[in-house]
Amino acid sequence: MKKKFWRCHVCNDIHFGIKAPKLCPTCRVAHAYVEIPSGEALRIESETTTKMNQEGFLKAITAFAENNEFQVNPDRERVDMLLDGVFSNEKNHGLKFCPCRLRTKDFEEDLKLVCPCNFRIHETYKDIADGECWCGLFIKRSEL
Amino acid sequence: MSNLIMFHGKECPHCRRMMPIVEKLEKEEGISFDKLEVWHNEQNADKMRSFKNVIEAKCGGQLRTPTFLNTDTDSVLCGEVPFENLKEWAIG
Repeated sequence: MKKKFWRCHVCNDIHFGIKAPKLCPTCRVAHAYVEIPSGEALRIESETTTKMNQEGFLKAITAFAENNEFQVNPDRERVDMLLDGVFSNEKNHGLKFCPCRLRTKDFEEDLKLVCPCNFRIHETYKDIADGECWCGLFIKRSEL
Repeated sequence: MSNLIMFHGKECPHCRRMMPIVEKLEKEEGISFDKLEVWHNEQNADKMRSFKNVIEAKCGGQLRTPTFLNTDTDSVLCGEVPFENLKEWAIG
C-alpha cells in the first residue's frame, strides 16, 4: 500500500502514512486529516517548522538512539562532516538528505534518504555484528 | 575526458577516504578518473542520475557515493574499497 501525505485542517500537522490518524497528536481534534499532494506537504513543513541547528539535531538523534541497539558514531569528526552535509542538503535541496546518497528527484522515493533513514533494513546494517547505516552516522552498539 | 568516473559527495566520509586511494592508483598506473561531486553540482548529479539503472543494480538499489563507473563497459564499483580492489576493477 502506498503512503500518502495527510494534513490536519485545524493545525496543519502533517502525517505521512497509509492512513490518516484518527486523532491529531498536536491539536487533539478527531477526524481532522485531509489528503494533500507532496508539494503542499513540503511547503507547509518548510513554512512552519522551526529550523534546528546542527547541535540540536545531534542532540535529537542521540536521544533517538538512546534506547536502541544503535548509537550515534562516537567519531565526532565524521559526525560533524556528515551533519555539514545533511544541513547543506536541507539548505540547497529542501530536506535533510543523506550526504552519501544522491536524490533521484522522485519526491516519495527521496523521502527514504532523509536522515535518520530506515537503515535497519539495509544490507550494511541488518545481520551484521558491527553494522552501520550507509554513511556511518549510526553504528550498532558493540556491547550487544 | 576519462571513461572512468568517480561520483562523490563533498561531505561523504567514504568519498573523503577513497580520494587518496584513487589518486595513488592514478599515479601508479597512469590512468585518470573524472571526479564528479554530485551534491553541490547539479550537472554532475544529472550525469549520475543518467546512469541510474546501471548504478542502482550494483549499489543496493540506490545512487550511493562513492560510485566508480566505467562508461565503456557500464561496470560499477560501489562504496569504500581497498586499493587492490579498486585497481583490479579499474585495470583488470
